[in-house]
Amino acid sequence: MAKRVLLAEDEPNIAESLTFLLDRAGFEVTVETDGRGALTSALDAPPDVLILDVMLPEVDGYEVLRQLRADRRAEGLPIVMLTAKGQKQDREAALERGADLFITKPFANSDIIAAVQELSEGRPKPVTAVSS
Amino acid sequence: MPDTIVGTRIRQRRREVGVGQAELAKKIGISPSYLNLIEWNKRRISPDLLRRTARALDLPADLLDGASESRLLETLTEIAHLPALEPLGVEREHTAELIGRFPGWAKAVAAMARSEREARAHANILSDRLSNDPFLSETVHHMLTRIAAVRSAADILSDYPDLPADRRERFSRMVHEESRSLSDVGEALAVYLDKAEEADRVMTPLDEVEALFEARDNHFSEIEAAAGALSDRLTDPRPIPRSTLARTLAEQNLTDPIAELIDGQSQVTTAAARKRAQKALLNYAVGAILMPLNAFGERAVALRYDAEALAQAFSAEIGSVCHRLTALPRRNDVPRFGYFRANAAGTIIEMLGLDGLALPRYASACPLWVLYRAQQAPETMIRQHASFPSGQRFVFVARARHTGVIGFGKPRHYVTDMIAMSEADAARTVYAPEPTTRAEDVGPTCRLCPRRSCVHRVEDPLAE
Repeated sequence: MAKRVLLAEDEPNIAESLTFLLDRAGFEVTVETDGRGALTSALDAPPDVLILDVMLPEVDGYEVLRQLRADRRAEGLPIVMLTAKGQKQDREAALERGADLFITKPFANSDIIAAVQELSEGRPKPVTAVSS
Repeated sequence: MPDTIVGTRIRQRRREVGVGQAELAKKIGISPSYLNLIEWNKRRISPDLLRRTARALDLPADLLDGASESRLLETLTEIAHLPALEPLGVEREHTAELIGRFPGWAKAVAAMARSEREARAHANILSDRLSNDPFLSETVHHMLTRIAAVRSAADILSDYPDLPADRRERFSRMVHEESRSLSDVGEALAVYLDKAEEADRVMTPLDEVEALFEARDNHFSEIEAAAGALSDRLTDPRPIPRSTLARTLAEQNLTDPIAELIDGQSQVTTAAARKRAQKALLNYAVGAILMPLNAFGERAVALRYDAEALAQAFSAEIGSVCHRLTALPRRNDVPRFGYFRANAAGTIIEMLGLDGLALPRYASACPLWVLYRAQQAPETMIRQHASFPSGQRFVFVARARHTGVIGFGKPRHYVTDMIAMSEADAARTVYAPEPTTRAEDVGPTCRLCPRRSCVHRVEDPLAE
């Protein structure tokens, strides 16, 4: 069964290219174009990997990351942050908030695919139920 | 080398116009086998034969002569040898073939590389300004996004030779669209930089005064010292407000020292700016007399920097308190405040900036800032937890107050005072946002704001 990738990216051309690449690499891809949708999607049906752009409408990527890391339904979800902001503080902000990886635009296609492959294979088993 | 391209171009053109090899050979007076050798780049073509061939194929000779292709070849060869592209395994030996068979593609790649080189050059020039200029920061973000889209699509075209025709067409169009957007952003940036340089040379009086305050870190020790001596005289048996008395003391005692202070610095140069600086520093002095810094600092901590409570404690106007907050010493345990004052038209009439937060100088700011809506509810402190597209978060607190003469039947005019602080600093104040509330999305200005779905947008982003 194909591993699932949730791609939260509001730039349509980048989303299309990444969808093509991930599809060719054997992943099943779902695209969300705003932070609210990404959050809902990631919590309702946690994917194997989330690629999360920082600059998303509605709710930005940092906030999505923060909320996901605070929610046990998404525990262990590998998250790759994607942003055009390559400055040190952006990277630190993403990693401090719990991102697994931070990739800056422009990126090499092969880096994204390699990162997703690695994270999808190494992901710890997700917590799907919480006992009270 | 150019001959290599010429043969391919002849073959391609001949097929385009539907002429057989034998037919063309006859027209130009050579044998089909010799034409075949030329077309497969096994023989060089003489200038005379090139002219005859161009005529027979209904093409200008210069399109076949290889001059423009030669330049393109040099460019692409250079690109193919870029160390950054080494891992891609670019087929350097097929560069001439690419130019001959797909001249449009070859030009697109060269144009993309040129755009990227220019964009990178711009980015290098601007790097030292990025952290303080939201315009430039956002523009670079747009550029990098466009470059990312171009690079990803171009790599797909290069790495997946089995792409179906419709997908190839789609990614090709993507490269074209994004390259054009990138070019537009680069052009807009160049225009912006020209304006910025011009504006730096001709600063407004407001800019000059702001520069003076910035150079002194919003703190004038000589005024503080002189004001301290005057604070003790803030007693008068007559029913005169303290603020009126403080202003009278400042005007009588500090007008000349302030003029001397302005004379001794370099930021304020024009007569209009001197007048404005004199007024701003007199206001500063009034604040210093009313709220001596040590006492103000201690009280501010106790009241958790509540501007209204401080105004009441020191019988001062809210605007003076907001201004005074910016003069607090720079220490790790003291929040840093910025201060903005706007009139009803939305014009900024005073600004003491904050690190990482600057109003656009060359366009309207974002209308979602609380600074612009506080006048809907005058005399009320309104807090805004603002989230910028860059991910930075600030807390803005604004209050509109009446100004000018008040009386029945007279129109009321308001100005808005706003203090700004980082989200982290706000935690030390009464303005700390509730942990459960979501920060409100705002932007720097429409032109550079990537929030496409914002209903308040009045201009498209530069990169559209």
